[in-house]
Amino acid sequence: MNWPFFHPSPVVEIGRDESIQVQIRPDAFSAFHALEGWSGAAAASAVFLGRVRPQTLDGEPLQALELQHYPGFCERQLLQLAREQLQHHGATRVLVLHRVGTLRPGELIVLVAVEADRRGCAQRCCSDLLEALKHQAPFWKREWCSDQGTWLSGNTPL
Amino acid sequence: MIWTLEPHQQVLAFVLRVLLFASLRDRAGWEERSIAFSEAGMTAAQVWDQLELGPLESVCVAVNQELVRADQPLRAGDELAFLPPFTGG
Repeated sequence: MNWPFFHPSPVVEIGRDESIQVQIRPDAFSAFHALEGWSGAAAASAVFLGRVRPQTLDGEPLQALELQHYPGFCERQLLQLAREQLQHHGATRVLVLHRVGTLRPGELIVLVAVEADRRGCAQRCCSDLLEALKHQAPFWKREWCSDQGTWLSGNTPL
Repeated sequence: MIWTLEPHQQVLAFVLRVLLFASLRDRAGWEERSIAFSEAGMTAAQVWDQLELGPLESVCVAVNQELVRADQPLRAGDELAFLPPFTGG
């Protein structure tokens, strides 16, 4: 096969680390550039982008959202969550980028991208991995409102 | 190498690197400390008690970046982290 638009699929083994990319980002990042550098030639891709909401959980105007993590430990936990979902859904590749530090409302906080052979598998894996991250990822969040910081004990509903 | 100690000299059996996060940092006023102990077989729970930061019940314990039980004995050079409940991503 030698069509000008044909690109061979990347060789990816399910469960192998090269099929999963997890990064904790201390600074703002561009989803476009991240995806451009990561995307392969899979038949189906699903992407979720999460941004910081403009209100606190109590509905007050949010100044900033602070995220803290345990370097090394956090990456390994995220890798494990991604590996579980990739294997469960039979997806081929996963990308997770997650911000830490101080974020302003509207800033990109998380990017989850999944590649698979079928759209259903890609979409379900992306959705389930996002929920796993929302509930199990080892981050600590502090909302800043009127110059007062409050550590959060829960997360936003689905 | 072998050192000979005089009777008045004390040997500290091991040094731990202790890490705190989030609300625990605020409560303690520090993020990281090296703590020396002369008692062998010290557990994470015993270290926690010495920090006087309240009850351990909702706090997770990690040793060398692996979640462990609070009664696990510690070894020289261990990195001991006390993790308050996670908020999620």
